[in-house]
Amino acid sequence: MTVTETPRSASEAAHALVLEASGVTMRFGGLTAVDDVSMKVHEGEIVGLIGPNGAGKTTFFNCLTGMYIPTEGRVTLNGETLPPKPLAVVRAGMARTFQNIRLFANMTALENVMVGRYCRTSSMALTSILRGPKFKREEAATRERAQELLEYVGLAKSTELLARNMPYGDQRRLEIARALATDPQILLLDEPTAGMNPKETEETMHLIFKIRDSGLAVVVIEHDMRFIFNLCDRVLCLVRGSLLVEGTPGEVQSDHRVIEAYIGGDDEEEESA
Amino acid sequence: MRKLRFSDATRTKQGPKAPWLAIAGGALMIVSGLLSWSYDDRILGDLSIRFFPAGIQIYSMLFGVIAVILGVLLLRRPPWLSPARGLRILGITALVFLVWVLGSIAYQSDGLINLNEGGWVALVGALLITVGGTLSPDVEINVLTWPRLSSTLEILIIVVLMAVLLFTVAYTLDIQDGVIFASFLVALIGLTGGLLGTGFGGYLGFLAANNRRPLLLAAFVVAFLFPFTQDGSDANMSIATQILIFAATALGLNIVVGLAGLLDLGYIAFLGTGAYVGAMLSNSAFATVGWKPPFVVVMLVGAATAATFGLIIGSPTLRVSGDYLAIVTLGFGEIFRLTMLNLDGTNGPRLTNGPNGIPAIPDLNFFGFDFGDVHTVAGIPLGRFSNYYFLLLLLLMFVMLVFVRLNDSRIGRGWVAIREDERAAEAMGVNVFGLKLLAFSVGAFLAGLAGTIKAHQDTSVTPEQYVFLESAFLLSAVVLGGMGTVMGVLVGATILKLLPEKLREVNDYRLLVFGLLLVVMMRFRPEGLVPSKRRQLEFHEDDTELVELVQAEHLQESK
Amino acid sequence: MDQFAQQLVNGLTLGSLYALIAVGYTVVYGIVQLINFAHGEIFMIGAFGALSTWLLFFEGETALWVLPFMILGAVAASVTTAVLMERIAYRPLRHAPRLAPLITAIGISVFLQEFIRLFYGRIPFADFPDAKQRVPFPQIDVVTGPAFQVGGVTIQRSALFTIGSLLMCAAGLWFFVNRTKTGRGMQAVSQDPDTARLMGINVNRIIVVAFAVGATLAAIAGVAQGLQVTNINFRMGFLAGLKAFTAAVLGGIGNVWGAVVGGLTLGIVEAMAVQFIPGTFGGSPWKDVWAFVLLILVLVFRPQGILGAKVVDRA
Repeated sequence: MTVTETPRSASEAAHALVLEASGVTMRFGGLTAVDDVSMKVHEGEIVGLIGPNGAGKTTFFNCLTGMYIPTEGRVTLNGETLPPKPLAVVRAGMARTFQNIRLFANMTALENVMVGRYCRTSSMALTSILRGPKFKREEAATRERAQELLEYVGLAKSTELLARNMPYGDQRRLEIARALATDPQILLLDEPTAGMNPKETEETMHLIFKIRDSGLAVVVIEHDMRFIFNLCDRVLCLVRGSLLVEGTPGEVQSDHRVIEAYIGGDDEEEESA
Repeated sequence: MRKLRFSDATRTKQGPKAPWLAIAGGALMIVSGLLSWSYDDRILGDLSIRFFPAGIQIYSMLFGVIAVILGVLLLRRPPWLSPARGLRILGITALVFLVWVLGSIAYQSDGLINLNEGGWVALVGALLITVGGTLSPDVEINVLTWPRLSSTLEILIIVVLMAVLLFTVAYTLDIQDGVIFASFLVALIGLTGGLLGTGFGGYLGFLAANNRRPLLLAAFVVAFLFPFTQDGSDANMSIATQILIFAATALGLNIVVGLAGLLDLGYIAFLGTGAYVGAMLSNSAFATVGWKPPFVVVMLVGAATAATFGLIIGSPTLRVSGDYLAIVTLGFGEIFRLTMLNLDGTNGPRLTNGPNGIPAIPDLNFFGFDFGDVHTVAGIPLGRFSNYYFLLLLLLMFVMLVFVRLNDSRIGRGWVAIREDERAAEAMGVNVFGLKLLAFSVGAFLAGLAGTIKAHQDTSVTPEQYVFLESAFLLSAVVLGGMGTVMGVLVGATILKLLPEKLREVNDYRLLVFGLLLVVMMRFRPEGLVPSKRRQLEFHEDDTELVELVQAEHLQESK
Repeated sequence: MDQFAQQLVNGLTLGSLYALIAVGYTVVYGIVQLINFAHGEIFMIGAFGALSTWLLFFEGETALWVLPFMILGAVAASVTTAVLMERIAYRPLRHAPRLAPLITAIGISVFLQEFIRLFYGRIPFADFPDAKQRVPFPQIDVVTGPAFQVGGVTIQRSALFTIGSLLMCAAGLWFFVNRTKTGRGMQAVSQDPDTARLMGINVNRIIVVAFAVGATLAAIAGVAQGLQVTNINFRMGFLAGLKAFTAAVLGGIGNVWGAVVGGLTLGIVEAMAVQFIPGTFGGSPWKDVWAFVLLILVLVFRPQGILGAKVVDRA
């Protein structure tokens, strides 16, 4: 993955199919959290995933990445079916961030990102003990790459800060850097601007564009409507586990069913956004 | 660290007088060494003669010397030291020391009346020191203002400190009387505590960080020189070898528990596997296997067998929750012991001779160098245990190497990530199961290696040597000493093996105290005595001061 | 066939003992996710409590009416120890990483064993025998004595006491958990302590109750063991505790009925293994090994146990 940015035109970009989820269903006992949701993501696309709280968005992400084993459905990456195991999913090229920031709190920012490099490096025990040239090369490369990524997301000054000491907005960016360290082809971001002020939100948007421009596909769960509108090529709306509407941001935003789901037609659908 | 609650106003008001109190107290303690402490000259090494200080009186004088030094420092107020805190620690420990000593004298001579003036003078001195320290304001030690000296000077300081260490160790091992040993320990804690509390500890760490290689070299030279200080006597060497084997094994366990965060309660079984393999393949008349390969091969076979068991045990169980792992490993430990007990020909194939084990294991013999013989080097005779000592020192160095290098690598980072947040780690591509299995097997391998040597050193192998309690001891060495650091485990292992030897009078209460110690440690200092900073953070998540301190240190180190 | 029936009876007896102790493990684990490693010692202390009561008040008397008092003494001793343990050692560590309470538990276990070994004979004002070796346990009439012969099977009276105790305790437990406020509170806390707290349940008190309930059953087991084996010693908790934990996991950790089922199953498996595993790996010397092998198999192939675990994943 290179760090240069080449702006792409919409027609060029959206062709190669990167991720396809078909008929993903997640049932916990009697509760169906995700009901037959399908999604396609192409190279260079930014897809938004919206819906009221409890609609199943994060659960859907968990199903995609193998943290949950879906009750039904299939997930393929570049045509290959993914087994529901987080390790295999990451190795295949799908990385994610978490809704409630799961950084390694007592490690520094640099170390956090270096952990992300684990699956792309291969020094094993014997090599680490003997410390030959291969080991040294790989360690240096890991460190360098981690530095690069921290600069890329704008955290160059914070490399030695413990993750727990970083400001909230920086922590979110660190999580993105860590995910990028795994050299993914598609990045899943779970509420990346939650709790951010407008300036930080703007910066995050530019960062995501930058990521897209370097060749990745991105799927974003978000509640900030303006953010989604400005950012995404396509939007999916999930309500109570099922896919309600799919289309361009304009289409989805003006769909009356979406408005009802958020603001609440009946008492039943009253939600806090 | 507990701060006595005096307002700063009180402190600064009393400020000018306080150092003099401490100096006076120190002077008194020095003087007390020259006085008589006890009427009866048979008690605690003859404390009855004036102007002829013996052991305990010398300790008292040392307290005094340090107190005077700290008092003088308090007058000068260098910004990078806090002598007030050091004096408090010194004073309180001195009081404990004196209470213990005076109490023992009174107990052994039937009455306080038999205490002579020396003890009382020292007591007053200690009180003055404590008061002086309490009434002085503390200084916030600013981590960034330690001075750097020329590198020759720094190395010289290191060498001198190492020599002091060597002398202290030799002296400690020589103390025979349990009561004197205990009082020496208290004195040692007080003296080092006082110095460390003043800030020298931080300076030492700073010094060590900047002079890693010379320090390591000095440490090993000292370790190698140790047998030469014993004047040909093998008694202490026996204890030393016990400590070394224990420490090497505990360090292996530290990889499993301290680095990977896996609780293994059956670790002793791996040591036992190595030992039994070593015994079975040895030249003992009771050895049950016909093959007698050279020892290097035996070592590898023993280690590999243990590692294989580690893989067999680990594969199914490392996928399950950490709580279960503890019990399962305990179960395996018991299975091992019971199996060794039963393979005696009647209950199973005759492999291990059952409860009698395999005795009469001959000494090692490397290319003619017989470990059982006495060899004279540089005029000093080195006996059997000294020979094993050197071999075990090499083993310990190897284990340390493995530990440090694994810790500081991609694998080490993976282990930390697993400890921090296992599911997030896996979501980031860390092969959680693989790394856990690796830790488990490497730990097993190292234990097996140690075991093969242990068989020859102990000259016999029985199932009773490998009971659960031994696993608990090993775990305690790691936990008590400090998870995740080499120094910590060495400290823990030394304490756990040395104290029972030296405090023989209270040997019966050994386990009782041990149990209590575990409970107390977990309550007040779960990260151990010499923890890695990271572990300390993990156990004290809410301690904001600690977080800031670690962050500041980190930023400094990376410059 | 006779052999089988005999071993079945033996197994049920052994299993009842395991079940009584296992409940303590499972209840505590279900609520605070802690393996109370020292629970085996609670069992041991119960036995000593019963013995002490007998020695202090009823020495020489073996009539049946003494038994309830002995049981009371056992329960008092066990519950006191368990509650103290919780308060002093475990409560401060509630939010510490899991390693800390586990190691504390090991420390407590060793401490209690040694305490009894060293000091039992020296308790002031009581003339207790030294506990460094086995100590004889009073053999109460009616529950000890000549065994019954039913068909070709020998049933010890003490065995009946053990099995009977389990039945009664199980019934009492069911009533407590399902029909009392505190019992339902326990269920709530093991599902979600934060919500339970918001509902006004005194979580700390519930936790203490959990420890107490486990201790009570373990105490009764201690009395049963003493009656069966005719002597007690300070080490009796170690292996029994380990096996009981195996039983708890076997039945489904956190699940009270799982502990009962697991205990009985383990007892029967052990008894059958002694009798029926042929060749050199059978018989009494290997029975413990088989028990542990069973534990490992369960954890690998069915970690939720026979009846399903009832622990909420807090990860």
